[in-house]
Amino acid sequence: MAMEQVPNGVRSISTQAVRNRMKSVKNIQKITKAMKMVAASKLRAIQTKAENSRGLWQPFTALLGDIPSVDVKKNVIVTISSDKGLCGGINSTSVKISRAVHKLNSGPDKETKYVILGEKAKAQLIRDSKKDIELILTELQKNPLNYTQVSVLADDILKNVEFDALRVVYNKFQSVVSFLPTMSTVLSPEIVERETESGGKLGDLDSYEIEGGETKSEILQNLAEFQFSCVMFNAVLENACSEQGARMSAMDSSSRNAGDMLDRLTLTYNRTRQASITTELIEIISGASALEG
Amino acid sequence: MSSNAAVPFWRAAGMTYITYSNICANLVRNCLKEPYKSESLSREKVHFAVSKWIDGKPEKPTIRSDTGAQ
Repeated sequence: MAMEQVPNGVRSISTQAVRNRMKSVKNIQKITKAMKMVAASKLRAIQTKAENSRGLWQPFTALLGDIPSVDVKKNVIVTISSDKGLCGGINSTSVKISRAVHKLNSGPDKETKYVILGEKAKAQLIRDSKKDIELILTELQKNPLNYTQVSVLADDILKNVEFDALRVVYNKFQSVVSFLPTMSTVLSPEIVERETESGGKLGDLDSYEIEGGETKSEILQNLAEFQFSCVMFNAVLENACSEQGARMSAMDSSSRNAGDMLDRLTLTYNRTRQASITTELIEIISGASALEG
Repeated sequence: MSSNAAVPFWRAAGMTYITYSNICANLVRNCLKEPYKSESLSREKVHFAVSKWIDGKPEKPTIRSDTGAQ
């Protein structure tokens, strides 16, 4: 505590500094509590949306599969993060996973690029991967998230980036306190065809009948585009949901910390006050007894 | 399916399946009666900023808003 603030000649210890500190801690606690409330109400709205959107990508995974180990030349990592901070480690997690995926998929004749969603991953990835950034998208959450927005966004990514495989990295919402860093892989139509011919997981795709006059490659292109927008929609929602959940628990623990701090400060404050009272009493009594004696 | 015949045309116009399906979805939304129509139209708002990076340098970000959607 800053004791030098006490003016000269004052003998008792000033409690001013402690009182100021207590006031500011109390204010911070109020703010974090309010932020927690806001995050909680936003979470509830977005959680149902995110859970409903899971039905969108599941049929695609059943049909086209999700093959994270696929070996292709042009990889694009789509890192999803939030625009705002104060939400624990979810942004660092998705950046870390993206870096790991980048490392795994880099080789002499391979090309791996980043597409970044959100300010926070941008700030972290600019530092060391400037050369590999292809596209940055921000300000997603001005309006409540909806499919039209995400599909326009997915469209922009498809038009601006050349890829053989898109790897979408995001935090999957599991509960308010646990988020699973997840990677979804979307293959380009050519790669899907290649994989179908070589058998393996996608070998069953040939057994589907195709209606109408379209060729298989046309259908696959449409499917791949639609799959990407659906996967993106789910990923963005899941990540937003995780963000709110993480913010809620982070704000909860910081209000608890502020409470602890306030308790300690109150204790110090009371002790100091008591000490000064005791000193004064001693002075008075000893003065009185000196006069008597 | 009548839409099958349309595929080559919107592909030739440089649209992706996503753009095409968005236009179709918007048509369907416009067919709704009030108040559902304005409600569903106001729900689907588009807003985000895109900036392309070339050789480690960002280009000027462009804002994609409602007008740019269709």
